[in-house]
Amino acid sequence: MKESELTNSESLQIITDMIHQAKRNIAKKGSFYFLLWGWVVMVGNFGYYIIASYDLHHAPHIIWSITIPAAIVSIVYSMMQRKAATHTSQIDGVFSNLWMAIFASIVVVLIFMSKMEYNHNAIILLLSGLGTFVSGRLLKFNPLILGGLALWLSGIVAFNVNVVDQCLVGGIAIIVGYLIPGYLLKKEEGKN
Amino acid sequence: MSDFKNLDPLLHSQLRLAIMSLLLGLQSAEFVFIKEKTGATAGNLSVQIDKLSKADYIKVEKAFKGKKPVTTCSITTTGVEAFENYVNALKNYIG
Repeated sequence: MKESELTNSESLQIITDMIHQAKRNIAKKGSFYFLLWGWVVMVGNFGYYIIASYDLHHAPHIIWSITIPAAIVSIVYSMMQRKAATHTSQIDGVFSNLWMAIFASIVVVLIFMSKMEYNHNAIILLLSGLGTFVSGRLLKFNPLILGGLALWLSGIVAFNVNVVDQCLVGGIAIIVGYLIPGYLLKKEEGKN
Repeated sequence: MSDFKNLDPLLHSQLRLAIMSLLLGLQSAEFVFIKEKTGATAGNLSVQIDKLSKADYIKVEKAFKGKKPVTTCSITTTGVEAFENYVNALKNYIG
């Protein structure tokens, strides 16, 4: 790009092109986290359901220890991404603050799960639905918006079934709400 | 041509307008990213960034990423206002 006298149409073209460039980079986001947490939470939910239903272990909640390495992987990955990034968008900040707030809320819910007689899964599904729906709106990506709606719907279902069945509902909800939109988002990222 | 008087001369330049338009959609961007997206040479980009920075249209921060020096640019409130005025003036010119 060189310095020369601009016409009004050239000015508009430059503005449009550059805003498009920034927009294309905004769209490159997030599928890694949806896929990582989608798989982990799905395995956790189905694992808990199978262990509890068939009485395979006296403490079925042990399956949830898989979230510890997933949390470490998430933190390391985000640190590496931040280090490698040559730019940040306004949406990046909103995106990470949103999921940090949801993570904090989930932690609070988990701390007080005994007070809810372990019916915390429905609330976690609602919180995950919130994050997925808003992420979908931010990225203007309809599969995530629909995923968020599916998670909310499964939250309503989960409120009406017993604690073990809530995990079955949660596992199915995560496939629809995280994994399918996550793979579609990954495909979309590959195009840009 | 008299209508061009309304267009901010600092923004009415190919590369400076490209830098501002790019930064408008981002929170911040490193020099290498702006160079890649605008296709400008490092020398020319450096000069234009300096002009925008002196006008307080953009904020330039120099830091280290590990051992590598990194220059990061972000648009300021003054820059956003100037950009909006430029676009409005452009609209009047076209309209």
